[in-house]
Amino acid sequence: MSVPKSASIVIIGGGVSGCAIAWNLANRGIKDIVLLEKDTLANGSTGRCGAGIRMQWAAEKNCRLAQYSVNFFENGNEILGYERDIEFEQSGYLIVAANEKEAEQFKKNVKLQNSLGIPSVYLTPEEAREIVPLIDTSQFVAATFCQKDGHLNPFHTTDAYAKAAERLGVKIFKHTEVIGIEVKNRRIESVETTRGRIATNIVVNAAGGWSKAIGAMTGVDIPTYVQRHQIMVTEPLEPILNPMVMGFSYNIYIQQVPHGSIIMGRSDNTEPLDFRTTSGWKFVEEMTKTCSKLLPALKTANVLRQWAGHYCMTEDAQPIYGPTPGVEGMYLACGFSGHGFMLAPATAQLVSEMILGEPLTIDVSNLDVGRFERRELVFEHSVV
Amino acid sequence: MLINTGVPTREQIERRLPSPERRARGPYAMVECFQEIPCNPCSTSCPFDAILPMGDINEIPMIDHDRCTGCGVCASVCPGLAIFIIDESVGDGTASVTIPYEFRPLPEKGETVRAVNREGCVIGDAIVTRVLLSKKTKTPLVTIRVSDGLVHEVRFFNLIDDKAVSDATSLKRKEEPITVDSACASDDDEIILCRCEGITLRTIRDLIREGYTTVDEIKRISRAGMGACQARTCGPLIAAEIARMTGQPISEIQPSAHRAPVKPMPIEFFLGGDSE
Amino acid sequence: MMYDIDLVVIGGGPAGLMAANTATEAGAEVLLLERDGHLGGQLVKQTHKFFGSEKQHASVRGIDISTMLGDRLDSFGERATVWKNATAIGFYEDGVITVDHDGIYKKVKPKRVVVATGASEKFLSFPNNDLPGIYGAGAVQTMMNVYGIRPGHRVLMIGAGNIGLIVSYQLMQAGVSVAAIVEGLPQIGGYAVHAGKVRRAGVPILTSHTILRADGKESVERATIARIDRTWNAIPGTEKTIECDVICISVGLTPLAELLWQAGCEMRYIPSLGGSVPLRNNCLETTVKGVYVAGDVTGIEEASAAMVEGHLAGLEAAASLGFKGDRYSEERKDCMEQLAALRSGPTAEKIRTGLACAECL
Repeated sequence: MSVPKSASIVIIGGGVSGCAIAWNLANRGIKDIVLLEKDTLANGSTGRCGAGIRMQWAAEKNCRLAQYSVNFFENGNEILGYERDIEFEQSGYLIVAANEKEAEQFKKNVKLQNSLGIPSVYLTPEEAREIVPLIDTSQFVAATFCQKDGHLNPFHTTDAYAKAAERLGVKIFKHTEVIGIEVKNRRIESVETTRGRIATNIVVNAAGGWSKAIGAMTGVDIPTYVQRHQIMVTEPLEPILNPMVMGFSYNIYIQQVPHGSIIMGRSDNTEPLDFRTTSGWKFVEEMTKTCSKLLPALKTANVLRQWAGHYCMTEDAQPIYGPTPGVEGMYLACGFSGHGFMLAPATAQLVSEMILGEPLTIDVSNLDVGRFERRELVFEHSVV
Repeated sequence: MLINTGVPTREQIERRLPSPERRARGPYAMVECFQEIPCNPCSTSCPFDAILPMGDINEIPMIDHDRCTGCGVCASVCPGLAIFIIDESVGDGTASVTIPYEFRPLPEKGETVRAVNREGCVIGDAIVTRVLLSKKTKTPLVTIRVSDGLVHEVRFFNLIDDKAVSDATSLKRKEEPITVDSACASDDDEIILCRCEGITLRTIRDLIREGYTTVDEIKRISRAGMGACQARTCGPLIAAEIARMTGQPISEIQPSAHRAPVKPMPIEFFLGGDSE
Repeated sequence: MMYDIDLVVIGGGPAGLMAANTATEAGAEVLLLERDGHLGGQLVKQTHKFFGSEKQHASVRGIDISTMLGDRLDSFGERATVWKNATAIGFYEDGVITVDHDGIYKKVKPKRVVVATGASEKFLSFPNNDLPGIYGAGAVQTMMNVYGIRPGHRVLMIGAGNIGLIVSYQLMQAGVSVAAIVEGLPQIGGYAVHAGKVRRAGVPILTSHTILRADGKESVERATIARIDRTWNAIPGTEKTIECDVICISVGLTPLAELLWQAGCEMRYIPSLGGSVPLRNNCLETTVKGVYVAGDVTGIEEASAAMVEGHLAGLEAAASLGFKGDRYSEERKDCMEQLAALRSGPTAEKIRTGLACAECL
């Protein structure tokens, strides 16, 4: 199966971002869109992530991006006409503060969030226990909770976008790797793939961890790097943990998916900065330790499996959206630093608007790639 | 043929028989091993060097009947229980067969048993004349006497009151064919392929038709293979189904990743650890 | 704590025991991990006499070979440690192996590893294949020969390879009747002498047949079988019902290679070896340096070959650590000759072609 000779837009990357962008553009009536994926859909970070979505951020922009996405996912099955289920469960995020300093920041966060219409609340440990009866209240000083936060099935979500995009005429090529991008007079001319060449003037770089390599094909350095992150999952249990429980100082996120399994992950700055997706034993030791401290009752749950994926990181742990200076026609949607899954609906909307020259639904002009050179970094502290 | 039935042909047997003169002279070993397999204990165990040394361990044993005394060492040693000692020299219208017999209970000397041929059919009666226990190999050698016309047919016996063995041999060979309508073909789809997650063959087939042609994609969409056994059972079955439906060679279908732990372990297990 | 040791052997079956014995004898300090409470792996349920030559203990019963090899390991005293009830649950990128030893979490960081984890049974899909009373042949053999439990009264065996034939025979030895042995291929896969043993004991072997379905209310009561054509499709009108309370599946083994995948060894799917096997060199070392393999995990073969591979892997792993005795060259040559002999016959043709693809380093 060879690729078409030309396309209006070539999207590189079959993760949730690429598929969502493809759908969004096609839904606006754009024809001849091609999406290229070197492996299978959701094979990179999307399929390996925790797939949570929260509106409880410390920076306004992130709150708004997440809010947009939550609103989209609330009607995701309907909008995308998906016959399976993206499994959006709005069972909330409970975020615990380990110390007074963190609690103070949380108070500010809630204030900001409420001002944006995000229904988060500030809780005492006892109040938090009413929501998560398993939690050990001696382990934290305060918490925030937002019922509208939740999680999804990342495979089904990507599948839903891809299927809807295909119905609108997008051609998705799996097992098709980009091996070169032709640039003439600083303008994109074509994309060379393992199944042939596609003439196009617009490329969306949604290649996640591989976005740097794709950028390099046009002679541009995209300042992203990859870092391995690990997750483990337990056997399916009866519902016992309704919301996602998260702690920044504790360095944990843990949730029970509708199927019953409990998924948990953490960050580790000593993790390798490369594409390996092997797992480590130290992660299991640290993860089980943290989890049984915060939720002691989970001690007897069986660990089924651990796996790893990678975050596509930027220096300020914020995404890169927009055109690439020096290469006309290359749009970036990468560097999500661990939050690409939850931001996908917003990403799709904004990148489409940028390509079509429409006004932006949310102003993300400061998340352009040039901010790193300008040293105008945008920091967000509420991350795991 | 032997390879289809497990029973050697008459021709194969006859070619192994020693000369009529040798057969009249006394007991001899009948080596009913017709396939080149890597095995040589008969030749290395014979106290009289009657089974010729094998250059290659896969050679079919060759016996020098002039050296063979019919002692039975090889019959007890043979891992395939394929050597019998025949004695046609009695001269009273009977002959004896010594059979390696690994069933319990053992018959007693003088007991009447049913003589059974190579295909498991009872073809007459026999009298047990010797029961020899081998300390070394633990394969008893039971000698039975049959009418001499049967000696090249009889290779087993059934105890008359042994229920278990007679049960096995009294199988009605011809069972009434039953009519099965095509229902059994259609409910093929209801077969549970992934037992951990309860995913049916129908679901797998639907996904393959939908374009999910790797084990990983099917796993992600359906959860098949995400359970406790980590696709140990269903993984190969799913790969085979993909190969069958898409025509891809199965060797090109990537299995899904194998992850630690190999078996489910409780969270608290990892908290412990020894400090020896 | 982290255990440092010269060599860890994973799996105390024929290959692992030989590897541990050989490496300890060569001078290495060895730790053997055995998942079960006893050593021997599949040997302990093999009540039949082995094929092969004296060097691989031909004519000795598997269970007795297991005792011999275990006793030899014992005789080395402290230089060889055995952890029973010890499952290697993870093999990580930094060479650390995590172990469930009797419920205790342990970590081992060996200089070399021999993975001799054996194989698992393949399964078959047919309607109602989840009814109680449907077992793998290996499970039935364990039930009978290790725990002394009869699986039922009347068994239908699926598969006429050596395991199907041997287990049928052992079922009869245990007083269980075997209704028939069903084989999809047009010919019997196992040794003809094994087939001869079950035939004369009254068991029909139906080649070019397959099981269509199992039926029963709460457990297996009967099976429907039918003749199949060359494309494995059932020929209408040839269906037969067989009354049985046990259906025993013996349609082959597949290498149990999870730890090798985890360790990052390069694998290749080789159908004639039973599934995905590790690529290795002629010292049985995989693409991950210091990780050796032996036995069924390298491809499905007889236990005799597993023992020789274990010997070779143990010898090479020890030699690579500097434990290279005077007899190294001689032993290596002998192993290679034994393997060549065991694999030279017509019944081993499949294995020869498979190995040619796996031994490519």
